[in-house]
Amino acid sequence: MAGTEHEEVEETLKRIEAHKGVIGTIIIDAEGIPIRTTLDNSTTVLYARLLRRLTMNARSIVRDIDPQNDLTFLRIRSKKHEILVAPENDYLLIVIQNPCE
Amino acid sequence: MVKDLKQYWELSNQDHPEDIFPMVLTSATQELFDCVADEDVTGESPYKLLEKDDIIQDIKTRAAVSDFSPVKQIVLDYPEDELLLVYDRDFTYGQSFYLVLTPDAKDRILNPPKPETPEVFEKEVVKTPEPKPWISFGSDKEIDEEAFKESREKLLYKFSRVRRKFGVPVCFSDRNTADYLECASYQDSRFSIKQMQRDCGMQAVPRLQSSSAQTQWKFQKNIFTQYTPRELSVEEKENILQLESLKTFCNSVTPRVLQALQQEGIMNVFFDDWKALGTATEDGDWAGKVSEGLMLYQAFTDQKYTKDKKICSVNWHPTIYGVIAVALTAKKEDQLNESAVRASFILFYTFSDPSNPQLLLECPDDIFAFEFCPSDPNIIVGGCINGQVVLWDISAHVTGLQGTQPGKKVSVNTDTCDFHQDLDDNKENKTPIVRYCAVSALDSSHKAPITDVQWLPATFEVTRTGLPVENMYNVSTQVVTCSPDCTIMFWDVRVSNLLSHSASERRQIMDQKTPYSVPDTFKHLDRTWKPLFRVSLPKIDTSGEYAPLKFNMEHYTCNANENGDSSKVIPDYSQLILPSAKTLKALEDVNTKLYIGTEDGEIIYIDWKLGKDDSGRLQSAKPLHCFSIHHWLVNTVQRSPFFKDIILTAGSWNFAIWKEGVMDGPILLSASSEQVCTVGCWSLSRPAVFFIGKEDGSIEVWNLLEKTNEPVQVHSHVTNAKITCIKPWAASSKQHFLAVTDDLGMVRVFEIPKTLYVPSRSESLNVKKYFELEEDRLKDLLRREELWEKQKETEGLKKRTEPDKPVTSLVENEEANVKEYNDYLMLEENVLKGMGLWRAPADTQDT
Repeated sequence: MAGTEHEEVEETLKRIEAHKGVIGTIIIDAEGIPIRTTLDNSTTVLYARLLRRLTMNARSIVRDIDPQNDLTFLRIRSKKHEILVAPENDYLLIVIQNPCE
Repeated sequence: MVKDLKQYWELSNQDHPEDIFPMVLTSATQELFDCVADEDVTGESPYKLLEKDDIIQDIKTRAAVSDFSPVKQIVLDYPEDELLLVYDRDFTYGQSFYLVLTPDAKDRILNPPKPETPEVFEKEVVKTPEPKPWISFGSDKEIDEEAFKESREKLLYKFSRVRRKFGVPVCFSDRNTADYLECASYQDSRFSIKQMQRDCGMQAVPRLQSSSAQTQWKFQKNIFTQYTPRELSVEEKENILQLESLKTFCNSVTPRVLQALQQEGIMNVFFDDWKALGTATEDGDWAGKVSEGLMLYQAFTDQKYTKDKKICSVNWHPTIYGVIAVALTAKKEDQLNESAVRASFILFYTFSDPSNPQLLLECPDDIFAFEFCPSDPNIIVGGCINGQVVLWDISAHVTGLQGTQPGKKVSVNTDTCDFHQDLDDNKENKTPIVRYCAVSALDSSHKAPITDVQWLPATFEVTRTGLPVENMYNVSTQVVTCSPDCTIMFWDVRVSNLLSHSASERRQIMDQKTPYSVPDTFKHLDRTWKPLFRVSLPKIDTSGEYAPLKFNMEHYTCNANENGDSSKVIPDYSQLILPSAKTLKALEDVNTKLYIGTEDGEIIYIDWKLGKDDSGRLQSAKPLHCFSIHHWLVNTVQRSPFFKDIILTAGSWNFAIWKEGVMDGPILLSASSEQVCTVGCWSLSRPAVFFIGKEDGSIEVWNLLEKTNEPVQVHSHVTNAKITCIKPWAASSKQHFLAVTDDLGMVRVFEIPKTLYVPSRSESLNVKKYFELEEDRLKDLLRREELWEKQKETEGLKKRTEPDKPVTSLVENEEANVKEYNDYLMLEENVLKGMGLWRAPADTQDT
């Protein structure tokens, strides 16, 4: 039973990972500790620490402007990659994608 | 002791002092008194005491003759008995002896005073100073004045109450103030003393003061922290992954993420289309005055030399800024007229003087084509109308070209040069004339005018069989010429092996003397120059040969020849020796094929290597391809400076672009124009731009990326005559010139506007793509042509065998269409009714 539940998560994530251009995905918990990742450890830890801070900042901005609003998605586009961050409940999903041009 | 005395006396008296008397004593007297000089009395003991009585005796006996007669009186008065006679050896007082006259002096001389001897001090014992009684100097008075003393005794008043009233309560009563004598205080002006002087004490305080403070560390912050990230163990991770919350999280987040990913894949929202639309030239100066077309910069002509001549060839000087060389040839009519033979020249113009040439190169005959040597711009090779190849060396006059002033400044050179030249040069501006260094042997040259000359690039050279080998010197030493006598010849400018020449020729070489003022760089070649080898052009299908007019070869660039010497040391051409073919390494990857344009408008592709035919003789191969595209003389075969395999050919009424390797035909063929295309050339900085010159004196600017069926710009009537040559040149990054020459002998230099020389973004890539497209199209076309051919044949067969097919009647089609339309109207009505927008058309129609 535990295995199947685990598999659902896996399956969902596989859909994301199979998308064109995706380099890696990371799930981090409320405290910023990575739970599941497809990248190497040092990169994961780096992304987790930095993006969690940024997400919290972004969320606080949105809620400061309008307390009934909340952050749903954060997208950072750089020259080389695009970083997608989806906060929800206590977890954070980070996806790094190569823009296809 | 004697010296002391003498010095003492010399210091005090110049002459003899009073108490001595210098006198001369004769030898008789000397013997008498026992004071013979240097016997009885000497320098060491010059003193002799003489008895007074003896002297008196002598005086008495000899009277006037006596030596002592002058001092007779003194002697008589002498108080003592003995007189001192001193032998004055050094004649201090003028005589050999002197008599001391006073006893004091005698004593002094005999007993010189003893010098005081310094006393030896005793060692004093250090004693404590004893108190001495104080001597008053008057300071005690001052102290007394300042001191404070009581002037009188102190007064004492004692007030007390009567004893019996001690401890008794006090009773106060009033009294009238007037009864009492008051002594009120008042300000007495006598006592308002202004203190003029005051003594005050001072104390020095040190300037330096040290103090300390303590800083506060208000905001405590760590500078460095070292940490390790928290990590979950594998079991914990497993646990979390199974949580329900994680599942919900994933489910809710996934759609968003997928949407974002997909968005990214569809388009790039941050790409600025507008900005990317503009080419690189448009960002920056739209000053408004930017001209689109060619602007005339300068025109060069010279009345004396260019009269009735046309220009066949023009070249920019490769290194010196602003120098153009033009080759003048007589027009066709004059060529027949042999009597009016005038010297032919190549003129050098500079920007600074548009109406006078700076340098003239004398040619044996009219020159149709000439080129600067790419390794040494002072060497120029030209092809004559009579088939000879001519060489010049202008190293002596290069400074004149580089200077801004014409020949006037270069006085040194003109003197040496004019010596040999025509007389009329002396009258005028003294434009220096350079005679040619060498001409090829008449019998081994071309039989027809040479129409094209090219230097082989410095990267390789060829042997006598046309085999390309490596070039040791890294300079261009070989020249290729072509001429309508159906041959292409390869020449070498180096000193060849003399053994190959016959005896008579050798003698001729030795006997030759170069005329004065001609540099002897190519002395070894003059009049005996033979080509390395010849390439003939037999026709492919028929007998006969092609008559080439222009040719083009691929410039071989080798990578392995980087010897590291970046300084281009130009070797002395007269010292280069033709190496033996065996010693050089053969280069395999040199493209030895030439593109040739002929008199009849054909483009030939031929390999210049000589192969061996059946009889063992060296024979040139048959051309690989031949295309008859142009209908008349081909006047341009030029490779694109950007692509090694794209060639532009122009001739008769059209031009074509070829790709090397595509053997089926030109990848681009222009439409026939009304005017004859007389010359074409590629732009040096833009891969898609090239210029075509026309017979009516107009220039067309073509841009392959903008329009391929017509030119982008047409500058009509640039000149009144036919345009004979166009050569572009990039003087600097901001100045690009185009030299245009015409039939009247004028050279016009145009400035290419920025839009035409700054390449657009990725222009090279685009042009390459375009050429590839064209190539594909050509191939496709050819393929289709074949197909059509085949189809035609089969169809022709088919038509005869098949019966006629029933043709669907037109009426039936109409009915089907009407039905469809009605169906559509129904559909429209339903939809609109559903939306509530339906309006019956019958109501709104106007009747």
